[in-house]
Amino acid sequence: MLIILLGLLLVGALITKLNTPEPKADSQWKQHLAQENQGMQQNLNQMKGNDAYANYLKSEIAINQYRIDHNLEPAQGTTLWSFVEDSTSIMILVISIFTIIVVSTSIASEFNTGTIKLLLIRPIYRTEILLSKYIAALLFALLSLVVLFLFSWLIGGIFFGFGGADEVHLSYIGGEVQETSWTLAIWKEYLLHGASLCMMVTLAGVIASLFRNGGLSIGLTIFLLMGSNTILTLISKYEWVKYVLFANLDLTQYDNGTQLREDMSLGFSLGVLAVYYVIFVICGWLFFTKRDVKA
Amino acid sequence: MSRSVEEKKPAVKLEHVTKKIGGKTIIDDLSFEIYKGEVFGFLGPNGAGKTTTIRMLVGLMKMTKGNIFIQGHSIKGEFKEAIRQVGAIVENPEMYKFLTGYQNLKHYARMIPGIDKKRIDEVVKLVELEERINEKVKRYSLGMRQRLGVAQAMLHRPSVLILDEPTNGLDPQGIHDLRNYLHELAYKEGVAVIVSSHLLSEMQLMCDRIGIIQKGKLLGVESVNDFVHQGGEKVRLTVDDGAMAAKVIHQKLAMESASIETETIEIEAGREKVPVIIDTLVHANVKIYEVVSVTQSLEDRFLEVTGGKALV
Ligand SMILES: Nc1ncnc2c1ncn2[C@@H]1O[C@H](COP(=O)(O)OP(=O)(O)OP(=O)(O)O)[C@@H](O)[C@H]1O
Ligand SMILES: [Mg+2]
Repeated sequence: MLIILLGLLLVGALITKLNTPEPKADSQWKQHLAQENQGMQQNLNQMKGNDAYANYLKSEIAINQYRIDHNLEPAQGTTLWSFVEDSTSIMILVISIFTIIVVSTSIASEFNTGTIKLLLIRPIYRTEILLSKYIAALLFALLSLVVLFLFSWLIGGIFFGFGGADEVHLSYIGGEVQETSWTLAIWKEYLLHGASLCMMVTLAGVIASLFRNGGLSIGLTIFLLMGSNTILTLISKYEWVKYVLFANLDLTQYDNGTQLREDMSLGFSLGVLAVYYVIFVICGWLFFTKRDVKA
Repeated sequence: MSRSVEEKKPAVKLEHVTKKIGGKTIIDDLSFEIYKGEVFGFLGPNGAGKTTTIRMLVGLMKMTKGNIFIQGHSIKGEFKEAIRQVGAIVENPEMYKFLTGYQNLKHYARMIPGIDKKRIDEVVKLVELEERINEKVKRYSLGMRQRLGVAQAMLHRPSVLILDEPTNGLDPQGIHDLRNYLHELAYKEGVAVIVSSHLLSEMQLMCDRIGIIQKGKLLGVESVNDFVHQGGEKVRLTVDDGAMAAKVIHQKLAMESASIETETIEIEAGREKVPVIIDTLVHANVKIYEVVSVTQSLEDRFLEVTGGKALV
């Protein structure tokens, strides 16, 4: 599976490389940034309500201003770090799918093949067996993230030059712009995506324990993962949508100004996810340990 | 064949075990005991509930009522202590197909402390899989998988060995070896062995006691010898007048007979009585066409007990 991950990264890098023209040095970048800021400022002034988007614009303006003030020219075209950043969300989706396959197979397939019987008649509690399968899947996800980081960095470097490696990352924290490391920024993004990854993997585990059928569990969870956005748009006008699992899965919404509802926040989402998580864990545990094994 | 059971503390004890699934009673109030050093046969037609009972014995299924104790530990309350004593095959011995036989055994060995490489090699040798043990299980034949299943069950030297239809798929040599091995385990090492099977002739040779189960009910537990001989020997006579013959035998010899057809009667009697019977009948002018001595096999007896239900 990790090989497939690498393959996808390579293909992605190739396509990006072939589709983007050689970046030309922009001698007037300061003017361009200033213009951009003016546009955003106008937007900001006209806007009412939507605090999330306003905050996002404010941070973009501040960062652009910081670049002008400190003579930090923004990189043109794709660089090592922008490649790493751009691959994040799609590659983590791929990792999610792989981990869903891993957890579903490891929990449910043993019921299909019948090997679960010989496993459960050892002096080990079912809880321990379930837990070790779950932890193994999460470790697989973590390993995949590390591999993703290292290799997207490496491939990004090979294709777009290692020169970009020491580029600084600007972030807008508490009303002021700070220079931070890209590594930190990327891992923060991994962490935000990781919440969704972890929830979906846990859900897959619950479905696998319930139906004891690997294929069904893989199919259903991936369907939910892919279809969740469509479902969300259909129900997004209702007030209660904010309590729906899928509305809270994407934590990056609080970072890039695309949050679903004004009355939601990072803390709120984390709370909702925590409640779902506890329910998932209890259900999965009950389904796995309390039912007869008829395999 | 029968061995005395010295220790009266049961290795396995079932107390009023009942299992209902969806309102249907599959196992109905099963109570019996199995002692160390004996091979216990669990006999019953298809769907009688043998596998279901074994699933409850090893904790794969919960009992609706009752309790099971293994070496004094309740499978419900002290699962780890109880199951540590048990080695088992439930239905088919399914192993990880993508691993070799050896890797499978190593996998199970890791889950119970105190099993070293030497022990793994030992059980492999025991089931005579040395030559093929490093091949992937998906390339094994049914009999080889059965052997690997037995190896897996014995890995941790259990004091209770439970095998669900272990002879399924074994060749005659394999069955012979398994039987010898189970006898050795039981009589030399004092293991309590539980075997389920439909192969009655096989049970006759393999087991000391058998419990017969039908439609989830225990019909009885008996030693194999008693079981076979209880039915006793019979003499079957074909004569010109069955009713007349029966009357004569009843009056002169005080023996009961059953009429099979009008001209055929069956008398409960051993070989030694045959000349007297013939003599008596000849004197009473009954014409005898045929005399057959009938010994009841375990199979006949089994059919008799289970009400003639066909077996597969
Ligand atoms: N999961 C289940 N749900 C409902 N009924 C079941 C279930 N499993 C088994 N049964 C029923 O329980 C009865 C006993 O089945 P079991 O498998 O224990 O029989 P068995 O004695 O092992 O038969 P065989 O000789 O064919 O292996 C059967 O009538 C079967 O239909
Ligand atoms: Mg069975």
